[in-house]
Amino acid sequence: MLIEMKDVAKRYGEGPLAVTALDDIELLVDRGEFVVVLGPSGSGKTTLLNVVGALDTASDGLVRVNGVDITRASRRELFDFRARTVCFIFQSFNLFPGLTAAENVQFGADAAGSDADASEVMASVGLADKMDRFPHELSGGEQQRVAIARALATKNPILLCDEPTGELDFRTGVQILELLQDQAAAGRAVLVVTHNREISRMADRVVELSNGRIVSDGPPVGGKAAVADLHW
Amino acid sequence: MKTSRLLLKWSWRDLRAHWPKVTAIAIVIAIGTGGYAGLTSTTEWRTVSYDASYAELAMYDLRIDTASGSTVDQGTLQAVVASFPAAASVAASEERLVAPTQVDASTDAQTVLVRGAIVGSDFSQGGPHVNSYHAFSGRLLNEADSGAPAVMLERTFATFYDIAPTGTIEVSGGRSVDFVGQATTPEYFTVAPEGEMFMSEATFAGLFTTLATAQELAALPGQVNNLVLTLVPGADRDAVKTELEAALAEQPFGSTVFTRDDNLSYTALTTDVDQDQAMFNALAFLLIGGAVGAAFNLIHRLAEQQRREIGVGMALGVSPRLLAIRPLLVSAQIAVLGVLFGVMFGVFIGNAMATVFTSLIPLPTWETAFPVAVFMRVAAIGFFIPFLASAIPVWRAVRVAPIEAIKPMHLTAVGLRGGKARRVRNTFSVLPFRNLRRARRRTALTVLGIAASLTVLMGFLGIMDSVFEAVDTAERESVGSAPDRVAVSLDTFYPVTAPQVVAVQAAESVDVVEPTLRVGGSVASAATEFEVFIELADMRNGMWSPTVSSGELTEQAGVLLADKAATDLNLSVGDTVTLRHPLRDGLSYRFVESRLPVLGTHPSPLRSIVYMDLGQAGMLNMTGITNALNVLPETGSATAQVQQELFPLGAVTSVQSVTAVTDAVRDAFDQILGVLRVMIVAILFLALLIAFNTAAINLEARAREHATMFAFGVKVRKALRLASTESLVLGIAATLVGLAGGFAMVWWMTQRLLTETLPDFGLLVVVNPQTVAIVAAMGILVVAAAPLLTVRRMRRMDVPGTLRLVE
Repeated sequence: MLIEMKDVAKRYGEGPLAVTALDDIELLVDRGEFVVVLGPSGSGKTTLLNVVGALDTASDGLVRVNGVDITRASRRELFDFRARTVCFIFQSFNLFPGLTAAENVQFGADAAGSDADASEVMASVGLADKMDRFPHELSGGEQQRVAIARALATKNPILLCDEPTGELDFRTGVQILELLQDQAAAGRAVLVVTHNREISRMADRVVELSNGRIVSDGPPVGGKAAVADLHW
Repeated sequence: MKTSRLLLKWSWRDLRAHWPKVTAIAIVIAIGTGGYAGLTSTTEWRTVSYDASYAELAMYDLRIDTASGSTVDQGTLQAVVASFPAAASVAASEERLVAPTQVDASTDAQTVLVRGAIVGSDFSQGGPHVNSYHAFSGRLLNEADSGAPAVMLERTFATFYDIAPTGTIEVSGGRSVDFVGQATTPEYFTVAPEGEMFMSEATFAGLFTTLATAQELAALPGQVNNLVLTLVPGADRDAVKTELEAALAEQPFGSTVFTRDDNLSYTALTTDVDQDQAMFNALAFLLIGGAVGAAFNLIHRLAEQQRREIGVGMALGVSPRLLAIRPLLVSAQIAVLGVLFGVMFGVFIGNAMATVFTSLIPLPTWETAFPVAVFMRVAAIGFFIPFLASAIPVWRAVRVAPIEAIKPMHLTAVGLRGGKARRVRNTFSVLPFRNLRRARRRTALTVLGIAASLTVLMGFLGIMDSVFEAVDTAERESVGSAPDRVAVSLDTFYPVTAPQVVAVQAAESVDVVEPTLRVGGSVASAATEFEVFIELADMRNGMWSPTVSSGELTEQAGVLLADKAATDLNLSVGDTVTLRHPLRDGLSYRFVESRLPVLGTHPSPLRSIVYMDLGQAGMLNMTGITNALNVLPETGSATAQVQQELFPLGAVTSVQSVTAVTDAVRDAFDQILGVLRVMIVAILFLALLIAFNTAAINLEARAREHATMFAFGVKVRKALRLASTESLVLGIAATLVGLAGGFAMVWWMTQRLLTETLPDFGLLVVVNPQTVAIVAAMGILVVAAAPLLTVRRMRRMDVPGTLRLVE
């Protein structure tokens, strides 16, 4: 298993002011899986993503990712883990404004120490002609594709996506989802966090959260749909 | 009302969130305003203190000196003053005897043998009533001490040599006298004996005593040579002087009437206070300019961070005026803090400067109260700057369409344009440079903000370098090829074969004696005229000769001018200068003018030194006559031994190392440099604050990028390296600008301002490598290292929270 979460809890604060963001999480994700984590705002889905990506630490339980128990890892090991194992795609892209599109992609390779060719990765996301543009010269969809390309350039096995279509229109969002689906097909584990139930229709599995607990985990209701059939 | 309460609450939260930066910016403003107040107010309190002190000790309005070296019977001068037509205008008058002497205040620990003057005054009936005394330690003399071997030591001399309040010293002729205290009198508030070159408390001792004692010590019983008088209020000083001169002209003895404005010590304090102030003002303007520039940049950037929130407010229909309140409230908080800290810093600087002045100039009264009026003026500037600094970004935010203001900061970057970019090998290596390029205006403002403080720092240090280099040059020139040379002054002119000269040669510790002549005079050209000291020595074969920086010494009659003198006179080698010099005429001397070629120039920064070959003494009708000797001690004999041996000789008034003059000059500069040292500490602190604030604001501006890096596994160390590289580039640029600005400042101060305030001192633009190193260290190393101060915040960064921030 690429991702293994066992009895995981995450609490913020102490005493009467303590807030439980995750509770009793059991989750297994393997290579090639496209998993959508679904839930309303405040359900704990982003916290789950952050715990898997080692941006946050679990209060209890076991989180083993790619064979590494990140609940016991040191600070230095967590940095290495993020560099070599996971890669993030954010809702608001978080591209480096001082780097061109191609350079942002190369940054992913540089950070992970991978040998990915930025031009090739850019071409794979359909931005071969936008390589020398700076982020502020790109549309929102183009920026998100650059963000995906940056994540791909790391060649890390796990793709963690936090509302990747949240700032995009439907058509652009669909293009982004197709790109992510391709990555799962290529053998990566793709974890997409969203509140958009429609997106969950294209997933291999849908993990639904409510109040920090997994309330369902299985294939989408009504079966897996093609991206072209999605509407929102 | 509700809205304003909300805004107040909000801005209070802003203040709490940014308190280290707000405090640091306030301190930057405080250093600028407080420093400005401290520096620019010195004239006010120095003038008040001087006036009060001169009034308290009743400095004379007029002084009568009998002809040089002559005395008259006690009562003679009083009789003239009592009977001349304007006698009713005289409030008080007292006869004195002022006699040159040598003072031996040596102890087991140190040899103190200096020139000096015995000032004998009338202490009867609670006197003296003109030019009275103030004791700092020990006691004042009184009527009972009349005729006793008791004196009071001049305070600054005693302080300089750390002499006890009471004790015993020796004066010329090997006479022992007790000193009963340390005191001052108006002519000695600063030590500047008339007719002497660069004398200071290090080289000249004033001994104050009763008239009878002075007469006894000088072996001039019943004689006086000096009368000082004060005038009744409203009296016309110049008219009284004219009447007095007329009355004295009828007397059978020569005399001269002086006003207090002719007294070097008086003018050194009262005139130079304005000249000092010109320099302090220039430094103050630079200091406040640097601080204001830096504060402006920092506040500007702080306010710029609220740009998006202003855009959101505009989108929600809030009026721009209301939206401007919040950032302006932060400015108000900075302004209030800045003024509060400024008062504290102003008091600190004022006290530091007062300490410097009160230790250098012992006045009976010092009024160093905090300069409220000056500070109020400058506080208004300090209060206004934060508002101006935040008003500009706020104004820029409210005048654009809300959607433009809402745009995330990083998307509003217009400094970068896509194109055919060169492929980079590693994105980490280009990121810092791109970040600077994409916000060029902000980068430029930051560079200028840091550069402003570096300019001031280098300016202050460079001025000290220039002054010390000039003093060192003067010292090197004095020492020349004869470092052991001792300068011996005689009390008057003697034939070179006179017993007084032979006695010097006969001293056991003396090897070689060379007679020289030192006389006062002036030089003039079509450009200007100024007073000089003319030194005639054997320039070709003597034990010492000055360095010739241009031209050459030949047997031809002519003068060797200081480089500075030649520049001021607008003369070159070969041009003709008008030299006004004494000419011996029987037993007296008169001044005549001679037109002489400029044979060359010498590099001494002391403009007033003119050298001539002793072979030209005939021009002064002084062939074979001397009043000063160059002496080389016997091998193994130290200057102190020569001093001890020559001290008892009656004709010898001083025996000093040739560096005594430069020591005196160095001492004179201590007053100004002491103030500069205080300011340099403040500027170093200012530069550190600016560096820290720049780093802190940069960290906030880059928080999202850092969070993204951390999400990609980039270590804090590497992110810090990137931040440091960015700061390093800023630091290098700021250092280059600061060095250029500082060099320009040093040039302006030394070549423009100080040429007016210190015309007799030639300063070159000198910036030592150490100064460049200090400025570079501040600008490059400290600025580059400043991000390290943010390492804790970086480590504690809430990465998920920062990444989710919707800018």
